[in-house]
Amino acid sequence: MFEEVLFKNRRPDRPATLDEYRQSGGYEALIEAVKQRTPDEVRQLVTDSGLRGRGGAGFPTGRKWGFIPADAGFPRYVVPNTDEMEPGTFKDRVLVNIDPHLVIEGIILSGYAVRAQTGFFFIRPSYELDAQLIEREVEVARQAGFLGNNILGSEFSFELVVHRSAGRYICGEATAQVNAIQGNRAHPMKDRHMASDGLWHRPTIVNNAETLACVPHILRQGAEWFKGLARTKTGAGTKLYCVSGKVNQPGCYELPIGTPLREIIEGSAGGMMPGSELKAVMPGGASTAYMPAKYYDVEMDFDPLKAVGHRLGTAAIMVFDQNTCLVAATLNLMEYFARESCGYCTPCREGLPYIRDLLWRIEAGEGREEFIPMLQQMARHMDSSYCAFAPGAAESVLGLLKYFLDEIREHISQKKCPFAEAYRPHRKLWYPAE
Amino acid sequence: MQAEIAVAEHPREQAINIMYAVQGHYGYLPDEGLLEAAELLDLTPLELEELATFYDFIYRRPVGKYVIHVCDGVVCWMFHENSVFEYLCQKLGVCAGEISADGLFTVLPTACIGFCDHAPAMLVNGRLYGPLTPLLIDEILEKLKTEYCDLVVCK
Amino acid sequence: MPKLIIDQRSIEVPAGTKVIAAAEKLGIMIPRFCYHPGLGSFGACRMCAVKFLEGPVKGIEMSCMEDARDGMVVSTTDPEAMEFRQYVIEWLMMHHPLDCPVCDEGGHCLLQDETVSGGHGRRRYLGHKRTYHDQYLGVFVQHEMNRCIHCWRCRNFYQGFAGYRDYGAMQIGNRMYFGRYEDGPLESPFAGNIIDLCPTGVLTDKPCRFVGRRWDFERAPSLCLHCSLGCNTTGSARYRQMWRQEGRFNEMVNGYFICDRGRYGFAYESHPERPRRARVAGLEVAWAEAIQTAAEKLSQIAATAGPAAVACLGSARSSLETQATLQRFCRALGWSEPRYFSVPSQERQVKAAIARLEAPLAVSLREIETADFVLVVGADPVNEAPMLALALRQAWLKGGAVAVLDPRPVFLPFEFEHLPLAPGDLEAALEALTAGAGGTDLLAGGSPWPLLPKIAALGRRLTQTQRPVIVCGTGIVRESTPGLAADLVLRLREAGLNAGLFYLLPGANAFGAGLLSPAGEGLTPLMEDLETGAVKALMVVENDPFWDYPDRGRLVRALDKLELLVALDYLPSPTVQRADIVFPTLTLFERNHSSFVNQEGRLQLAPPVHLGGMPMAQISPEKHPPRTFLSHIPGGEPRTPGEILAELAAAMPAPVTLPGDDLWDWLSRKNPVFANIVSLFESPPGARLIPEAVPAGTFSPAAAPAAAERPPDYLELLLVDLIFGTEELASYSKHIQPAEEPPRLRMHPADAAKLRLSSGDRVALRLLGGTLEVDLQVAENMAPGVLVLPRHRQLNWRLAPDYRVMVAYGDIVKVEA
Repeated sequence: MFEEVLFKNRRPDRPATLDEYRQSGGYEALIEAVKQRTPDEVRQLVTDSGLRGRGGAGFPTGRKWGFIPADAGFPRYVVPNTDEMEPGTFKDRVLVNIDPHLVIEGIILSGYAVRAQTGFFFIRPSYELDAQLIEREVEVARQAGFLGNNILGSEFSFELVVHRSAGRYICGEATAQVNAIQGNRAHPMKDRHMASDGLWHRPTIVNNAETLACVPHILRQGAEWFKGLARTKTGAGTKLYCVSGKVNQPGCYELPIGTPLREIIEGSAGGMMPGSELKAVMPGGASTAYMPAKYYDVEMDFDPLKAVGHRLGTAAIMVFDQNTCLVAATLNLMEYFARESCGYCTPCREGLPYIRDLLWRIEAGEGREEFIPMLQQMARHMDSSYCAFAPGAAESVLGLLKYFLDEIREHISQKKCPFAEAYRPHRKLWYPAE
Repeated sequence: MQAEIAVAEHPREQAINIMYAVQGHYGYLPDEGLLEAAELLDLTPLELEELATFYDFIYRRPVGKYVIHVCDGVVCWMFHENSVFEYLCQKLGVCAGEISADGLFTVLPTACIGFCDHAPAMLVNGRLYGPLTPLLIDEILEKLKTEYCDLVVCK
Repeated sequence: MPKLIIDQRSIEVPAGTKVIAAAEKLGIMIPRFCYHPGLGSFGACRMCAVKFLEGPVKGIEMSCMEDARDGMVVSTTDPEAMEFRQYVIEWLMMHHPLDCPVCDEGGHCLLQDETVSGGHGRRRYLGHKRTYHDQYLGVFVQHEMNRCIHCWRCRNFYQGFAGYRDYGAMQIGNRMYFGRYEDGPLESPFAGNIIDLCPTGVLTDKPCRFVGRRWDFERAPSLCLHCSLGCNTTGSARYRQMWRQEGRFNEMVNGYFICDRGRYGFAYESHPERPRRARVAGLEVAWAEAIQTAAEKLSQIAATAGPAAVACLGSARSSLETQATLQRFCRALGWSEPRYFSVPSQERQVKAAIARLEAPLAVSLREIETADFVLVVGADPVNEAPMLALALRQAWLKGGAVAVLDPRPVFLPFEFEHLPLAPGDLEAALEALTAGAGGTDLLAGGSPWPLLPKIAALGRRLTQTQRPVIVCGTGIVRESTPGLAADLVLRLREAGLNAGLFYLLPGANAFGAGLLSPAGEGLTPLMEDLETGAVKALMVVENDPFWDYPDRGRLVRALDKLELLVALDYLPSPTVQRADIVFPTLTLFERNHSSFVNQEGRLQLAPPVHLGGMPMAQISPEKHPPRTFLSHIPGGEPRTPGEILAELAAAMPAPVTLPGDDLWDWLSRKNPVFANIVSLFESPPGARLIPEAVPAGTFSPAAAPAAAERPPDYLELLLVDLIFGTEELASYSKHIQPAEEPPRLRMHPADAAKLRLSSGDRVALRLLGGTLEVDLQVAENMAPGVLVLPRHRQLNWRLAPDYRVMVAYGDIVKVEA
């Protein structure tokens, strides 16, 4: 039986306390780091461990830290990203609620590795109670000497501030998040390198909370151990898989990275719901394409998924069954993305509502054959938008077109949704056009 | 509040916190609140409005004491979130965005709230609820109506 | 210098050039909306997508976001890129109304052009169009939000380039709204530029609303005369009337943009009371009769009282041609030399400044943008030379610092250091800096002056810069200050810094007036000659002493002594109303070419925009061209002063022919700085009328009479410029007038406390000529001991005997309601 790493302090009813965390070896990594390791050694260890970002893009964490130029000035910042607004994703909420100090220690260590002075714990408003929890525990950690000036008697000083968002998906994008923290409109800034020109034009590193939670374990148990956790050769560590949709036990499960989809669904998630057959999953949140049932045995890791043309994303597995209309599901997603678009660039601002309009017409029985090439071209052209938002949004459309074209055609030929319950578009709140 | 701004290295960074604080006071962010907040932050009203209207959880129009954020993410949708939304509206006698007659509730659709393992879900007073059934909704509303609850607002 | 290939053509461009700009050099206009060479790249509209075939970047990318690099092979016509651009247009047109026929932008609309050139002709989108409510944005800018394509240019200019904070983007996604927090005039005096920048008809020119299509207008390059910077404009006229001015690119002067005073100040040209006919004794007469009468009377006075009894007053707003012809005219008739300033201190300040400007020192407005430190002495950029404020902001955006030494409550749209020194202390500060710049210890003097440590710190910072610029105003400073500014620049250059010098002057062609004014201390001030009766006839050419002469009482008494007042002007000025004989002249927009010299000595030519004549709207109120046909242009009698002077000379009892040789030859014989101007049309663009080196012994005004110390219990009243309301020409513009703010007297809180006054009080100011009432505003950021009052047209400020006077505490009293 696999032993949980990030979730090892899981308790049925409450988060682990500082003492409980320390009993499990908590903060040993930090103590050792500030006393015995240089920041560069910490970074090297994380690089060697093969840890890749858990926020969606899967960028090697150690390399990201290494982007800060050697001669970059101070102050420097780290931004632990708990915006987590990717539909289907809730792992950071669960993680923070299980072991807040694991996340806090990870943040402090990342700050140590890049020689930062301040961390901005960026958290979405729907997690307000978690924000308050983190604030409390940060204070506890400070009392224990793990935060503040001259941590554990070392030269290293670090502060952690909880920065509340007011809720927008785009704030999860690293450069937009930096803008948001500065009190600007949260538009992405693709022309700036965060590692040298981030928050207030200072070196800034944005990391997902889960990524950071891996760091203390890597430091304590070594890079090789961490690599060994994975089920794939190229992978490293464990992964928090969020399973939702038509399964018996939806939830967030920690498993070795690279666990096959079948095992996740049939094992941890208790299999498909009675009467449900697997039709497709979104393997990593709403910004990844539908993956049809034929990929049931694919290993859920960055590289194996890439090899079959899919993305691990946030590893939020959303399971759709045979009774779910995927045109309507995609329409739901487009409603979401069109509403959340920051409006900076044209394809995202205007193109997504256009796609949504076409899908809505198809779902409502007004579809035409010529919509299909339009959908195809527009979804493809989302790649040329300013940031990764619109390309992600287009993934579901591209997946729909690639694997479920027949389902679209059925809508068009029957002039209605062939599924029992047609999608009812949303309240006339934000979209008065129809 | 002034103290908070004074502590911050960059006052603008406090914009959202200040808006939350003003919102906590008025229940929403009215024009006068926005003007006060802008002055505290040394921003022009326009600059703060650029932010206030950007975000989902800053209410520029009056809302009920409890804002019910019904998740309309794709997973909740799979579990008939539409019916949940309609049930709530019907039960409270409101359309989306309106305030119920007792002044307690406003129902708004909201982006995925990260409670997909309990779909369909909603967020009320800082707490996540799910999987929702009419029975559970009745219970939650009843509790909010009759019992005193500390208001959870972002601060 | 990276070399790249765009559409099979190779080009080498300076490092840092964007691909879109490199293509433009090849004549390939890649479609764009958000990119503007004056604003930079934003990557928002995605319209400039091209395909990168080879090189460091591959695939469809935005040509505005990629620096040109070696080895790039770019295709702008790649089918994939074209398909993408077609979609961008389709997306932008989803919600754009089809109201081109009633839209003012129609005909010169970038969106229109790119929609047509992109081949988008049919709307496939089946949804409804998005609609918005429009806002009232003041008298200059019309808002039509439904047309918006969200390109961000307006916000990028308004907040980013210009630094004003009341206009921006609200909401999110495709509901985004560009506007203000609420209805109201835009606060930025540079707001008009968003009209030029808007690629479609969201922001249009309000005064020019529904007047015509681009091709209906007569359009020509022109110049702005509303301050001394000489910004370049494009004028549009229709039906014998100017309707619109836009910024015109000049890489050395204004860049792409202009201020609102320059944009909307032109309407003096169609002022309903503008003199259009020659007048004698208040009655309109035939042109020839007026010439005859004037020639007779002038020559009679010259004959009886001597030629010196006839004086001419030119101006700092006339073209160089007018100024020079006037001088030639006076010399030909043997009259005394013309003066160009009615205020003698102005003449001395201008001469002091231009005497010190030499080629290595002088910097242009655009060069200020590259300075790493700018020290502004005795100038209030937004109010005196607005575009200077934007140039300073660009320097600041690039990391430069700006410090201002000025007693006024100076506002600039960025962070700067303001040392509110009293006018009398400015020179001391400059001297201290000059002493310190060479390395001398500033504090050695041990002066008790409280701001000295700050000046010392400033001096230390100055020496650590590489490319400092000293900006020196001539409005409120003493006459010797410009020279001290030049000394500081020279000292900094000695210390190895690439220091530059930038003066501001009073008037669009004050530089020309200064060049032509008599050398040295000059003539007896005109007013004295009038008072003593030495001058009995005065010919005023495009000048109005009633506008800028401070002591109204004295002026009236002096003019009363005249036997004859002849006025040549295009303004319905008090001087024109008072004159015995009036000859109407042409504005720079009409019929003739005219040249002006800006404050850095740059000679610029303004061709005519239209032929002149009475605006159609004034003779045909039904706004229809009259159906009677005439052999002449109605209201077309006005001529250039040069033509009028030639006619006068010829009509003298002993006719004089003005020398027929070229004006420029004549000027270059007179002053070597004109030597490189062979003829204006062939002169190198950007020629400057400044010497390579200032010859020794050039004019420098006598040391100011020992700086009049402010006696205790006195405040020093400064009469100053304001962006709207104090500049002569713009004040006659019906477009500017509604934008004027009511004038206010400003005072330091310490003084207000002593006088028990507070903001909003109505204050009576007892001056030599009478009592002036004005509202008070207490301002923290100004020098104590100083009163600041704009020379506003709504204010009878000419009760003061001078631009700077001392006012006793007792003469400032609160008016009880």
